[in-house]
Amino acid sequence: MTRFQVVVNGRERAVEADGATPLLWVLRDHLALTGTKFGCGEGVCGSCTVLLEGAAVRSCQVSLADAAGRAITTIEGLSPDGTHPLQKAWVAEDVAQCGYCQPGFLMTAAGLLARKPRPTEADLREAFAGMVCRCGTYQRIRKAVRRAAKELAQGKEVRP
Amino acid sequence: MTTRRAFLQGTAATAAALTLGFRFAPAAAQEAETVFRPNIWLRLHRDGRAVLVLGKSEMGQGVRTVLPAILAEELDLPLDRITVEQALPGPDFRRLSTGGSTSVATLWAPLRKAGAAAREMLVAAAAQRWGAAPADCWTEPGFVVHPPSKRRLAYGALVAEAARLPVPKEPRLKDPAAFRHLGQRLPRFEGRDLVTGQATFGADLQLPGLKTAVVVRCPVLGGKVRRFQEEVALALPGVRAVVEVPTGIAVVADTAHQAFQAAQALKVEWDEGPHAAFSSKAFEADLRGRLDAKGETARAEGDAARALAGAARRVEALYTFPFQAHATLEPPMAIAQVGSDGCDLWVGSQNPNALHERAARRLGLKPEQVRVHVTLMGGGFGRRLAWDFGMEAVEVAKASGLPVKLLWTRPDDLAFDWLHPMSLQRLRGGLAADGKPVAWQHQVAAPSILLAWMEGRRSPGIVPTETNGALDIPYGIPALEVSYHEAPYHGPLGWWRAIEAVPNVFARECFVDELAAAAGKDPLAFRLDLLGPGRTVTLGQDPVDLGRLRAVLTTAAQRAGWGKPLSKGRGRGLACAHFHGTFIAEVAEVTVDARGRIRVEKVTVVTDCGRVLNPLNAEAQMEGGIVWALSALRTQVTFEQGRVQQTGYSDFPVLTFGDMPEVTCHFLPSTLDPTGLGEPPVLPLIPAVLNAVAAATGERLRTLPLPAERFA
Repeated sequence: MTRFQVVVNGRERAVEADGATPLLWVLRDHLALTGTKFGCGEGVCGSCTVLLEGAAVRSCQVSLADAAGRAITTIEGLSPDGTHPLQKAWVAEDVAQCGYCQPGFLMTAAGLLARKPRPTEADLREAFAGMVCRCGTYQRIRKAVRRAAKELAQGKEVRP
Repeated sequence: MTTRRAFLQGTAATAAALTLGFRFAPAAAQEAETVFRPNIWLRLHRDGRAVLVLGKSEMGQGVRTVLPAILAEELDLPLDRITVEQALPGPDFRRLSTGGSTSVATLWAPLRKAGAAAREMLVAAAAQRWGAAPADCWTEPGFVVHPPSKRRLAYGALVAEAARLPVPKEPRLKDPAAFRHLGQRLPRFEGRDLVTGQATFGADLQLPGLKTAVVVRCPVLGGKVRRFQEEVALALPGVRAVVEVPTGIAVVADTAHQAFQAAQALKVEWDEGPHAAFSSKAFEADLRGRLDAKGETARAEGDAARALAGAARRVEALYTFPFQAHATLEPPMAIAQVGSDGCDLWVGSQNPNALHERAARRLGLKPEQVRVHVTLMGGGFGRRLAWDFGMEAVEVAKASGLPVKLLWTRPDDLAFDWLHPMSLQRLRGGLAADGKPVAWQHQVAAPSILLAWMEGRRSPGIVPTETNGALDIPYGIPALEVSYHEAPYHGPLGWWRAIEAVPNVFARECFVDELAAAAGKDPLAFRLDLLGPGRTVTLGQDPVDLGRLRAVLTTAAQRAGWGKPLSKGRGRGLACAHFHGTFIAEVAEVTVDARGRIRVEKVTVVTDCGRVLNPLNAEAQMEGGIVWALSALRTQVTFEQGRVQQTGYSDFPVLTFGDMPEVTCHFLPSTLDPTGLGEPPVLPLIPAVLNAVAAATGERLRTLPLPAERFA
């Protein structure tokens, strides 16, 4: 058991745990941030995706020791009030069915738009490669990311 | 005759009857002043807030959105004033279950009636207070109004008086033309919570002292623990208990990571039992053998064998459908807290009464001492009708004396799922000299899910449901025979999205195309010819309106550009199905490259499900069902040495983002009562794709899954 400092959603938090603990379980079991979901535990399905220094990562594949001291953003921290353009687009397109995988898709999309504000179809395929939504919401995810990208682009044009 | 449908869905019908009969549960004296509760499903509070006590479990199919909307429609209430509360299985709610695409179909009438009755009572209460004639009073969303005197009262102000009035037996229903909510695009009830991480699924609940449990089970179904050594695991940090439960050895620890570590360190010696040599290859050979033996006749018209022998041309084909897993994205999970005087279980269950009854029996508790709280679930698809993981959590909590959150890993999920069984189908068809089909034989060899659920008690008159989709073939062929060849299987079996009809419609609709090809006819024209004129016929047990099936077929074909030329390597295929009153046709457009790699480019789906209550979700169900079927082209569960070979989404490769085709949905306008939508879209897709491949290349694929190298 070691004491680590992690910075989650802008807040510094102390976690006492085995440094090998996957970040996913640090979030869920130590910090009670249960929006990040366990789907496969082997870095395939993407349900556990969070941002690490702004880049989308599978939190089941990142150890606490590696995450310590770096900025982590989870679905709970994507916006203070659920009004991130992606969250609004997700609601507008009624993307979620069961919703279990959606935090992972949202965080992946957030990582993508941070890198590529106007993603091409190839960018979307690359960003979401391997990710699983068993309810089959892929078509709406595509529409929602495009809608959010558009809103972000318009926002930029409007700003002085 | 009992069918799977009746067995599973009798539950919904009974729940509906409770509402219809307005079984009145008298409210406590002080409650009566503040709450209007005309039946156990509806409460109206003084603040004007209505609560629908929901007997259906939300798994993404949208019951929490549409069912309150039906009630609000007749009650005349804004949607944001109505909320839902999950029914607790027990004496008040004895038959809660969610399955078979029946929620809307069975609750449509009772919920309308409940809302309309409550509205009439509120109107009567206001009229009484005003000394006005009820006929002069009307409602506006949330208010009773009296236009002559311009008076109005909020519903909340009337609850105490309304609660004292008799419940009208035949309230007047709203004219659907005046619907405010139904037919509109209704956004998901918990939509915002689902995008902010606030929605609570099975394992998200926080309880004081809650531990995490992982169970190590014998990899061979039916195996038992011979001995185990817990010392190493117990010595690891955070480990609180190592206990034996009926399904294996449970490790209970402070956190999931610690529980996983300890489970790995645990040494268990298994008695693998009688099925340690089981292989799905051998099982397939067994099924093949059964097709050569006589089966049970499910439907027979004319003398199919004779007609076949006398046919000018005969076609025969064998179709293979593998064992399939549900692979819900949220693996099985449950939270259990067991004390001497009660048990609480939080679980994403489609079948909470089964858990309630079993937990009470197992723990020797009275029904009211067991509370099963249904949570949101990360996908259901039939997996959560099974009680196995919920009861496993109860066992671990009891054995360890700790409140536990049971987690299944992804490999656990695949290894111990209640699988959809493998099936083999042999079809034989005979054509007359003019190309008209004169004989049809469809043999289905598979284990029976229904009989597995009845735990081997096969009473007289029970006809297995494994021929659904074959038995109710809508095509008119003079000599026809459908038979079932039961095969014993040792493992648990479960209902899977669209169940037996998936393999059976796959074989049926591919074979129709094979016959059309043999007859040199266009698959659409061939089908329409076989359907004959629009009329209602009885197929199996259900009346089926063939006119509605013709309409979805022709509309889908037209919208997909059926008959328009395509470039080389591109093909269109179609298929249709009817499922519990829903009619559906799909056209798939595929490309096949020079290396034989297939890509599904477009799917056009046309559905007649009666009145569409929520188009937004209706389309989502179409997209979801199509993705489910596209996954089934790729996935399978296989066994070797008694063990499931697949361990995750890498070797159970469900469809992912990059392979999503463009799906276009269309619903035929209808004023008929709504039917189900969750399962029907699964059915035509597999044959539509395989028919499209045949159209593009001439290659007829009959074995699922297709090898991974066949996908572009």
